[in-house]
Amino acid sequence: MKLSCIIVEDIQIAADFLRKFCEKSELVEVKGHFLNVMDALDFLDREKVDLLFLDVEMPGATGFDLLDRLTYSPRIILTTSKTEYAFNAFQYHVDDYLKKPFTYKRFQEAIEKLQQKVAATPAAPTPPQPAVTAPDTDFLFIKAEDKLIKLKKDDILFLESMRDYVKFVTQGKNYITYSTLKNMEEKLVGPNFLKVHRSYIVNITKIDDIRGNTIYLLGNQIPIGKGHKEEVAARLNIL
Amino acid sequence: MQNFRTGFVFDESLNASFLAELFDGDTLYAETVFEDFLRDLPVYWDRVEAAYDGKNLPVLGTSVHTCKTLFGYVGFTDLQELCQQFENKCSVNTVEELRLDYIRLIQRKERAQHIIEKEYGRLREFNEANG
Repeated sequence: MKLSCIIVEDIQIAADFLRKFCEKSELVEVKGHFLNVMDALDFLDREKVDLLFLDVEMPGATGFDLLDRLTYSPRIILTTSKTEYAFNAFQYHVDDYLKKPFTYKRFQEAIEKLQQKVAATPAAPTPPQPAVTAPDTDFLFIKAEDKLIKLKKDDILFLESMRDYVKFVTQGKNYITYSTLKNMEEKLVGPNFLKVHRSYIVNITKIDDIRGNTIYLLGNQIPIGKGHKEEVAARLNIL
Repeated sequence: MQNFRTGFVFDESLNASFLAELFDGDTLYAETVFEDFLRDLPVYWDRVEAAYDGKNLPVLGTSVHTCKTLFGYVGFTDLQELCQQFENKCSVNTVEELRLDYIRLIQRKERAQHIIEKEYGRLREFNEANG
């Protein structure tokens, strides 16, 4: 079966190589090449493909940003010249990882391996469907300190974004996990958690008081972002 | 030096065995890639210079990262290493601390560009002769 794909790559030479390899292999059909994430997302909103060849570092947004915004799950082959993304790749269920520049032999290996995977799971790529939601429990597990730590939602005071990491602040201890605040926002659905700033989500039941644009919460001061004021006011019943 | 499958011999400063595998004997495609490299490198390098002059270290690192990838496609494995080191330093050093590394990177980039210009010319001649 021929896989349809797009190439998301800001370096023209790299994209040209990839397109040439796809043509040579005859196992992959290139539907388009995009130099940045936004253009690729525009295309993917209109058309579905089986496979993404995805660069990581591109101007404006990264390949992982694209994956965060995808509404379905095509196969993914990361193409990057850095090996540091291996852990992210694992987290995003990436199918393979091609370090640029790579040869046709390495490309073909990746495609053949992918074909085998696809054959084993004929339903791929998964059709559009509502995101699978975790059961609504009063706890969650986060990966920190080399293990999965169970946190009671009620024990969480707030979450702070630290670029590619998120800090969970509880009354007794802080935990840092490799994720984004956006991901955590989706996982912390419920009436008690509110994003008050692009870098903070707070447990509103723990708020002591609010002074100006600052939330005071058990000795911590959390800024309220300009774009979040209205929602904060509405959710906290500020009269 | 290592012979290309078709008989073309790359400059010894390039990783010839890798290039042989990358182009798989297709010297016409190699000519295209070398031409593209010479077209694209100045554009990407302008971004490096602008970021350095503007002391914008995150953009400097990203721009050098792009050039690093580009160098890989024409066989400059050693220069890729140098770019990687520079890229890493962008996240921990100041522009002032990077000055000497930057000068070294410019020198290596200019030498590389000169070699590729020469290799591109030789590839064209080779392809014309074997056309």
